[in-house]
Amino acid sequence: MSAVLRNPPLPPMQESPGLWALAWRRMRQDTVGMVSLVIVAIFLAMMAGSYTGLIAKDWNKEKGVSYANPAFLAGAENLEARSMAAKDATAKAPPVDLSDIDPLAPRYKEWEERAARIAVTETKRAEVLPFGGDKWGRDVLQKAIKGSQISIFVGLSAALLATFIGTMLGAAAGYWGGWANDVLEWVYNVFTSIPYILLILAFAAVATATGKFGKGIVPIVLILSLTGWTGIYRLMRAEYIKHSNREYVKAAQAIGASNWSRMFIHILPNVSHVALVQLSQHVVGFIKAEVILSFLGFGVPVDMVSWGTMLAEAQNELVIGKWWQLFAAGASMAILVTAFSLLTDSMRDALDPKLK
Amino acid sequence: MTAYVLRRLWQIIPTIAGVILLIFFLFNWVGGDPAMVLAGKISNPEQIANIRRQLGIDEPYWYQLWVFVKQVFTFDFGRSWSTNEEVSRILITRVGPTLTIMIPVLIITTSLAVVFSIMVAYVRGTLTDRMIMIVCTVAMSVSFLVYIIVFQWLFGFILGWFPVQGWSESFGKNLGYYAPLPIMLAVFVGLAPELRLYRSFFLDEINQDYVRTARAKGVPEKSVMLKHVLRNAMIPILTNVGIALPGIFVGSFLLEVFFSIPGLGREIITAVNRSDFPVIKAVTVYLAVITMFINLLVDVMYKVVDPRVSFK
Amino acid sequence: MRIPRFLAIAAATLLVACATLPAAAQKKVLHIAFRVAETGFDPQRVFDRYSVGVCENIFEGLLTYDYLARPARLVPLVAETIPEPEEGATRYTFRIKPGIFFTDDPAFKGAKRELVARDFEYMVKRFRDPKNRSPYEWLFENRIVGLDELTEKAKKSGQFDYDAPVAGLEVRGKYVISFKLKAPDYNFLYTLAMPNVAPMPREVVEAYAADTHGHPVGTGPFILKDWVRRSKIVLERNPDHRGYELDTRYADPSDPWDRKVMDDLRGKRLPALDRVEISIIEEDQPRYLAFVNKEHDILDETPFSFIDQVLPNGKLSKAMAKEHMNVFRELQPEITYDVFNVEPKLASGQENPVGGYSPERVALRRAMILAHDRDQEISVIRKNQALPAQTPVPPGVVGYDTSLHSTEQDPDPARAKALLDMFGYMDRDGDGWRERPDGTPLVIQYKYNVGGDSRQLAELWVKSMTAVGIHLEATAVQFADLLNDKRVGNFEMAASAWIADYPDAQNFLQLLYGPNTNQSNESRFKLAEYDRLYEKSLGVPDSPERNQLYREMDRLILAYAPWRLGVHRIFNHLQYPWVKGYKKHPILYTNFKYLDLDVAAQHLAMK
Repeated sequence: MSAVLRNPPLPPMQESPGLWALAWRRMRQDTVGMVSLVIVAIFLAMMAGSYTGLIAKDWNKEKGVSYANPAFLAGAENLEARSMAAKDATAKAPPVDLSDIDPLAPRYKEWEERAARIAVTETKRAEVLPFGGDKWGRDVLQKAIKGSQISIFVGLSAALLATFIGTMLGAAAGYWGGWANDVLEWVYNVFTSIPYILLILAFAAVATATGKFGKGIVPIVLILSLTGWTGIYRLMRAEYIKHSNREYVKAAQAIGASNWSRMFIHILPNVSHVALVQLSQHVVGFIKAEVILSFLGFGVPVDMVSWGTMLAEAQNELVIGKWWQLFAAGASMAILVTAFSLLTDSMRDALDPKLK
Repeated sequence: MTAYVLRRLWQIIPTIAGVILLIFFLFNWVGGDPAMVLAGKISNPEQIANIRRQLGIDEPYWYQLWVFVKQVFTFDFGRSWSTNEEVSRILITRVGPTLTIMIPVLIITTSLAVVFSIMVAYVRGTLTDRMIMIVCTVAMSVSFLVYIIVFQWLFGFILGWFPVQGWSESFGKNLGYYAPLPIMLAVFVGLAPELRLYRSFFLDEINQDYVRTARAKGVPEKSVMLKHVLRNAMIPILTNVGIALPGIFVGSFLLEVFFSIPGLGREIITAVNRSDFPVIKAVTVYLAVITMFINLLVDVMYKVVDPRVSFK
Repeated sequence: MRIPRFLAIAAATLLVACATLPAAAQKKVLHIAFRVAETGFDPQRVFDRYSVGVCENIFEGLLTYDYLARPARLVPLVAETIPEPEEGATRYTFRIKPGIFFTDDPAFKGAKRELVARDFEYMVKRFRDPKNRSPYEWLFENRIVGLDELTEKAKKSGQFDYDAPVAGLEVRGKYVISFKLKAPDYNFLYTLAMPNVAPMPREVVEAYAADTHGHPVGTGPFILKDWVRRSKIVLERNPDHRGYELDTRYADPSDPWDRKVMDDLRGKRLPALDRVEISIIEEDQPRYLAFVNKEHDILDETPFSFIDQVLPNGKLSKAMAKEHMNVFRELQPEITYDVFNVEPKLASGQENPVGGYSPERVALRRAMILAHDRDQEISVIRKNQALPAQTPVPPGVVGYDTSLHSTEQDPDPARAKALLDMFGYMDRDGDGWRERPDGTPLVIQYKYNVGGDSRQLAELWVKSMTAVGIHLEATAVQFADLLNDKRVGNFEMAASAWIADYPDAQNFLQLLYGPNTNQSNESRFKLAEYDRLYEKSLGVPDSPERNQLYREMDRLILAYAPWRLGVHRIFNHLQYPWVKGYKKHPILYTNFKYLDLDVAAQHLAMK
């Protein structure tokens, strides 16, 4: 008995670090993959930088005039800003006297004195911003950077959560089979039978109506992940079915490994590459889905900015010739998503060379 | 085979039950109160109560759920709460425009994707292949919303090749005049991912032993591709089309909203905004049933096309 | 690669269309878009402007508004004259013009159906039938003698007895109907001029009971020809309509629009249009581009984001001027505002930081209003197409106070900060946010609608409050939920708007009348003095005396600040030069009855 125990029953355990090292070696030879990795890394660094406030800290400051021109179009006519400057200063009637009914009337004098002591400074607004301004006069470039932070964060955390849900449920269904499988397959069928848009709207409606999904970007992350886990579940379930009958799992069972440890210590590392590819595919999917949510009005809170809210805001700006916000958000999203997709491709190729 | 089909049909029942439960919970229980929307600008609590009574939303939840179940079995969802229109009529009138867009989209996208992907697979590994794949990835990465805004502006307005928006009663005019731009947009957006996917299907087949055997026997590469590879790759491709098939009944609400197409996608948005529960219920159940039947059909066809597939 | 083929198909379709053109060329077809979907055309069961706007063309009530007169002026429509109030403004008696017929319908079994006084009796009863759940039931609530009792009976029996006589709805002979009111009421005539206070014959209602929205039968100048719900509405001229000419009695000859309308329509028999095709386009970009592309003849309510392209520096753009387009600028009788819930507790039982009438709470609301940057609301969000509201009553409405002006609603961050400091709303812990006077944290919740421009308004609120150190959290809420929350008082602050049902200040001032809490008084404002003034104003006809009462009420609103007064928006309506007779009415939403088209110019431009 003890002899059996001391015998290392782990050829598959060794395969797993080998798999990753091998994959990394293959990946390094893939130029496109490496370039994508660098771009994604830059975006992640940007995200960290803007999160910590190193960059784009004052994206919310209104530094320029409304729709300030981008630097490369410095001289162009800006009708919007001009019409705003031309405020008519018509003489108004003297303000109506409220003192006989105003609950604040007893302290009018004190109020006036205090107000006089508070200085209000008006900042001068720039005519030109590096990549143009939005309608409030905020720097579009900084907005796009800050928007990247939120969008990538939303995409990443929703994908992580969805992968977690999908993996857990997939593992349960695939490993246990039986009634656990039946129940989970039922849930899966229900979720996939409802059109995605209705499912999203339903969860969004619940999130806004009850406020139970929390505040800030938490509701969006929950909406996306609670509706988006099904594909991952299906794949992970298939992987678990395949692996639970493999010899190494049987061997682990023989040495008395618990179900729990077989599921997550033995099998999981061997299927995690599938989860990883799914994770990164879903990051991209969720970043795109966030745009649609924003378009429908379920975007991030008003004191934040994401690519989705920028695009929703910019949807009328192309027609009036203020294309830069649409471009800044659209292009930075396209660059990241492209890099991420290509990275996912080379990751998949590296992890599973059979596919190539 | 028959036993399999029967078993699958039997499975539809619990799924429908689940769909009913989930939709009921999400919309009826925690969703908005349509009585407020219908009550107008000024109304008193008594009038609101009257509306709620008429709609049946003051009944206990179990009773409302029972009504829902009954509606599913009789396939009669009554009338829309906001417009009093028969729900079945809404469905019937909205499916047409959606399909007018989506069927051409499916056909064009699939055929273009097959043709291009086999061409790309033929030159696999070359610079052309890589470039096309990267272009596809880039094309996929732009948000659909951006495509719609830019294409509508560019092709509808600046170039004036297509009408900006619109829909008519005549099928011919719709297909020939109003639909091309939305169809083109959907094809443009849908093509790249399908091309990538189909290419991988072809590559899967190319690496199979039978292909090597054929080549070894001296069969020319072109006929290897067209005869052997294409035929075998059609199975995953058809599966993929099968998966996409239920989606054509929903359509794209973004296209329908921007191009004023009176389709189902737009109807779903309106219904949710107005808390028009009968419409939501009917659309969900109808689409769920369609989805399940199409999935079943695809699986059965799969079996017919490929006898190696076994039913468990 | 695909494009040329699509183009070929498109060209072929166009050729076919051109071949049939000669016949169509005679027809005057107007194309226009609505930006919100309609619900239906049963006048007693709709309330959105778009549905009511279509009803204006199909149905005719006793009274209507003159097309050209400003401010809006009542004129008879199927009534012979406008009656004088009798019995101390509690009785109004109408004589209907004989010989007006409904459009033919199978429900009439082949007979011609004349409009009679009974139809009006039936119509008013329909508003009160609980089965109809009319959104405008309030128009006839607690107003007509004997009608409330009938509704009560119907609630008990489940059946509204349409044949039961109502003392307040007196039909005398075939053509006379007399309304007896419970209390003196000088605004009753306005009620009867509302486009949805128009009769649909009983036979028709009963024949199509299941779908009255889809079978509108009226006496109006147009009939509903085709209806693809929420997508397209097609009206065609009612061939049997008696017709009319433009009434120029109340026109202002010094107004260029009035002059143009009079020139355009001189001696013409109206309605002139043969067909009106209304598309529903919710998104701004396609609606705007469809007009610029000449797919539509009129662009009502040009989206604010495009204003500077259309009207750079307040004048029509060069490109549009070259097309000889016209722009009609309309200050709508509406107000956008934000409501504070002034009750100390929310419906959920939670404490409400902005509620109450104590100086401390009044000061908080007033300070928030002063801190709110309304100038940016006007310039950035509304593109200068709005006037800052001074009172809840918009210009163009009877009882509007032209001379009332207040600085209490103008942005003044210094005064806002001073007020907050003075009442102890200070940042004690240095986190950047002010606390309440007792030192507990102050977080205010603001609710706004999902969609539309409300996100920008919320953005402005958060920004303005942050600037003075008030922690405001904005939450997007679904339309239905927001309505509900506002109705039951489950909110602290929320965005709102009101458009005139009829052009009298009372329609706006009732929004703060205490007993209207749980109905239209969303802010749940209950001030004894205000309620007393409001009740007094009801019994007074339009007069300097009533205006004085209104001013007192306005001052109370400014002092206690249950609302942040927003703006009165200015809408810009564009038309191509071939649209003749255009003028926008403040109350009536459509003007198809008065429009004409220069078809030759229209077709020429399309080429």
